Amino acid sequence: MNTALGALLILTPLLPLLLAFPALRARLPWPCHVALLPAFVLLMVPMDAALDLPWLLPGSGLGLDAGMDRWPLAMAVLVWGASASLLPAARGRPADERFTSCFLLTLAGSLGMMLATGLVGFFTFSVLMGYGFYALLLADGGARRRRAAGVYLVLLILADLALFEALLIAAATSGELGFAASRQAMAQSPSSTLYLSMVLAGFAAKAGLWPLYFWLPPAFASARPAPALLLGAAPVAMALLGLVRWLPLGDAALPGAGLVVQGLGVLTLSYAVLAGVKRGRPKCLPAWGTLFATGLFAIALGTGLGDPAAWHRYGDWAGLFIAAVGLGAALLVVAGGGLRQDAAEGRADDSPAWFERWPAAVVRRAARLGVDTLPRWRAAWQTWLMRLWRPRAWQRALDGSERFLQRWAVAVTLCVLLGMAVVLAGAASGT
Amino acid sequence: MSGSAALPLLVLASSLLPGLVIFFLPEARVATRTMLNLAGAVLKLALVGVMIWGVFHGAHYEIRLPLLPGLDLLLRADPLSMLFVTLSSFLWLVTTVYAIGYLEGSPHRSRFFGFFSLCVTATVGVALAGNLITFLVFYELLTLATYPLVVHRGTDEARRAGRTYLIYTIAGGALLLVGTVWLYTLTGSLAFTARGFLSGLDESRHGALVLIFVLLIGGLGVKAALVPLHGWLPQAMVAPAPVSALLHAVAVVKAGAFGIVRVVHDVYGTQFSASLGVALPLAVAAAATIVYGSVRALFQDDLKRRLAFSTVSQVSYIVLGVAIIGPLAAIGGLAHLVHQGLMKITLFFCAGNLAETLGIHKISEMNGVGRRMPWTMVAFTIGAFGMIGAPPLVGFISKWYLGLGALEAGQGWVVWVLAVSSALNAAYFLPILYAAWFKAPAGAWPAERSFGRRETAWALLVPPLVTAFLVLALGLLALAPFSPLQWAAFIGNLEYAP
Repeated sequence: MNTALGALLILTPLLPLLLAFPALRARLPWPCHVALLPAFVLLMVPMDAALDLPWLLPGSGLGLDAGMDRWPLAMAVLVWGASASLLPAARGRPADERFTSCFLLTLAGSLGMMLATGLVGFFTFSVLMGYGFYALLLADGGARRRRAAGVYLVLLILADLALFEALLIAAATSGELGFAASRQAMAQSPSSTLYLSMVLAGFAAKAGLWPLYFWLPPAFASARPAPALLLGAAPVAMALLGLVRWLPLGDAALPGAGLVVQGLGVLTLSYAVLAGVKRGRPKCLPAWGTLFATGLFAIALGTGLGDPAAWHRYGDWAGLFIAAVGLGAALLVVAGGGLRQDAAEGRADDSPAWFERWPAAVVRRAARLGVDTLPRWRAAWQTWLMRLWRPRAWQRALDGSERFLQRWAVAVTLCVLLGMAVVLAGAASGT
Repeated sequence: MSGSAALPLLVLASSLLPGLVIFFLPEARVATRTMLNLAGAVLKLALVGVMIWGVFHGAHYEIRLPLLPGLDLLLRADPLSMLFVTLSSFLWLVTTVYAIGYLEGSPHRSRFFGFFSLCVTATVGVALAGNLITFLVFYELLTLATYPLVVHRGTDEARRAGRTYLIYTIAGGALLLVGTVWLYTLTGSLAFTARGFLSGLDESRHGALVLIFVLLIGGLGVKAALVPLHGWLPQAMVAPAPVSALLHAVAVVKAGAFGIVRVVHDVYGTQFSASLGVALPLAVAAAATIVYGSVRALFQDDLKRRLAFSTVSQVSYIVLGVAIIGPLAAIGGLAHLVHQGLMKITLFFCAGNLAETLGIHKISEMNGVGRRMPWTMVAFTIGAFGMIGAPPLVGFISKWYLGLGALEAGQGWVVWVLAVSSALNAAYFLPILYAAWFKAPAGAWPAERSFGRRETAWALLVPPLVTAFLVLALGLLALAPFSPLQWAAFIGNLEYAP
C-alpha cells in the first residue's frame, strides 16, 4: 500500500510534467484531464501519505495528510479540470500545443506545491508554476496581455529572490528544511525578522496583498478564459498556502509581525472594497473578490502569528479557506463573463482611481518640495540622474575602458616580463 | 612503472597521440579522423572512470618525471583533480561530436582537431598537475594550443581576437611564472599539499607571501577572466562555436579558476589564506566580477558576446566559493566548476546551432526561433534557467551552497551579491527566451540551411540535448552518490575536516 501511495505521490506532479512534451501526449485524448488523474486518485485514498526522496534536492519530499490539507488539492482538481475543458483542442496548431504544454507545466508546479513537505520542494514547484503561469498569461496576447504578464513577471522574479533569501536564512538557522522543523527554528531565531520580511514580501507579491496587488486586476482583465479561471486557484491560492507553510504559525507569539500582517490584510481588504465600488465592471469582479478574500486571510494569519493558541484552535481551517478562495475566484470569473473568448482583451478604463493615485502624489509632492527649497541643487541632480539613466552611454564608457586596458595590455606584458627577468636574476644571484 | 602509476600518463596520451596523428591526416580522411577523435575521447573517459573509482577508494595514482634539478614533472590524481579531469573528458567527448557536425565540409579540419586534442591534453595536464611547475607547463601549453583555435577562421577579426588573447595570456603566464619562481626561492617547494604548505613559514615572510599571492592570482585571473583581466574573453567569441564551448566551459577559463582553487587550497591553505588577509579581497574581486559581467551582458545584442560576458560573471562563482573560506561555500564553488561547464556549453552549442542552421548571430534576429528550432531552444531554455539559478537545475545547487556557505562564514553580503546576480541573469536571459518563444518571426531567417524534416543536423542537436538533460538531472539528483555536488563535498570535507 505504501509503495502504491508513494508512486501516486510521485505521479501527481510527474505525469503533467511528462505530458508537457507534445510527443508524449500526441495520441492521448484529453491529456490535461489525464494529467489530473493521479491527484484525483490520491484524493480518494483516505490515508496519510508521505515519501522521502533522499537523492533529490536537499529537503525534498512529498506527502499529503488525511485532514484539511486535502481541501486545496480537491479545489485544484476541480478548477484545473474545468479550466482544461476550456483549452482549445491542441491538434496541429503549434500555438495551441505550446499553450497546452505551459498549462501542464503550471499544473505540475501547482500540484507539487500542495504535496511538498519541505521548503526547497515547495520553492522548486513554485518557480515552475510561476514561470508556467507567466507563459499562460502571455500566450497569443496583444499589448494589454503582454503588459499584464510583464508586470507579473517582474514581481515573480523579485518574489522568488526574496523567497530564496528566506530559504537560505531558514537553512542556515535550523539546518532543517522540513516545514515543521524550520517553523520551530525560525520562531526562536535572531534572524526571524529578516526571514519573516522575506517570506511576507515574496508571498505578498504572489498573492496580490497590498501594496503588491497591481498585477492581479490587469491579469484578470486580460487573461484568456482558461488562465483566468486559474488565477485564483493557482498563483493566489498557492501563495496563501505558502504563507501557511513558511510562517512560524503556532510555534511562538510574534505580535509585531502579526500586527503587520493584519495591517496588510486590512489595507488589501479596504482597497478591494473601494475598487469594487468605484469600478463595478463585471470583468474586474473576480479581482476585487480575490483581493477581498486574500485580505481576510491575511488578517486571520496575522492573528495566528500573534496568538499561537488561536492558530492551534482554528489553523486547520486554513486549507478550507484557501480552497474557497480558489473556487470562489473561479466562480466569479464565470459569473463575470470571463469565459467569453472575446472578452479577454476588451477595452477597459485603466486610469487610477483617487485612492490609487497616492504614490504618484507623494512623488510629485516630494519633487515639488525639492524644487521649492533647493532650486539650484534640483537642476544639478536632475542632470546627473538623467546622465546615469543612459545605458548606451554607460556601455560606451565601459567599452572604451576595456579597449584602453587592451591597448595597455602590451605595455603591462612588457613590464611583467621585465619584472620576471629581475626576479629570475635575483633568484640566480641568491643561489 | 606500475599500471596504476601509468594511468595519469595514459589519460594524457589518450588525447595527445590521436591529436598528433590527426595533424598529419589529409583533409579527405574524414572517417579516420572521426574515428581517432571519438576513440581517443571514449578511451579517456573510460580511463578517468577507472581513476575516479580508485581515488574514491583511496588509491594513489602518481608519476614523476625529472624536469629540472630539484623539480619534477609530477602527475597525480586526487579528488580535486578528478573533478576537473572528469568534466574536461566528458565535455571533450560531447564537444568532439558537436565539432564533427559543425565543421562538416569546412577547410583545415585536421589542423583544427589536432589542436583541439592538444588543448584537451593540456587541460588534463593542468588538472593532474601535482605541483606548481607542472601546472605552469601545462597552463602555458594550453595557451599555445588554444591560440590556433581562436584564429581558426582566419578573418581579420579572428586574428585581432587571437592577438589580444595571446597578449593577455602571455602576460598572465609571466605573472604566474614570476610568482612560482619567487615562491620556490622562498620555500624550496612547489608541491600541492592538502591544506597548503606555507603556514609554517615565519611571520617576516608574510609580506612576500601576500605579493606572491597577488602575482599567482593575477596570472590565473587572466584565464579565469577576473575583472579587469577579462578583456580577451568577449573578443575571443569570434572563434567557431565548438572553440567557444571549449574556452568557456571545458578548458581555458576553467583552468584559471581551477588554478585559483589549487593556490588557495593546496599552496596557501584556506585557513592560512584567511589569516594572511588575502581571502577577503579575492572574494570582493570575485563579487565585483560577478556583478560587472552581468551588467555588461545585459546590453549585448550579439548572442555569443552576451554569453561571453555571462561567463565572466559565472566563472567567478567558483573563485567566490573558495575565497569565502568555509566548507559549504567551497562545496558550492567546486560544484559550480562542473555546473557552469554544463550550462555554458549547452548555451554555446545552441548559439552555434542557430548560427549554423539559420544564420542567427544577434538576439534581435531570434524572434520566433523557438517555433523553427524547438529542441535547440528547449536546451537553451534549460541552460538559461540554470544560469538564473532556478530550482531544481544545477545553477540553483551552486547558488544554494554558496549562499549557505556565506551565511555560515558570517559573510551575509555575498547573499545579496547572489540575489543581484540572479536578478541580472534573469534580466539578460529572459528577454531572449521571450523573443524566441513568444514573438512572431520577422520573416525569412538570415541564412537558412535545410536539414529535411529535422530542425538541424543530429551531430549538432544531440550534444546540447545531452548537456541540457544533465543540467536538469544533476540538479535534481544533487544528493545522489558520485554527483558533482557529492564529489565536491568529498573534496570540501578533506580540506576542512578537523
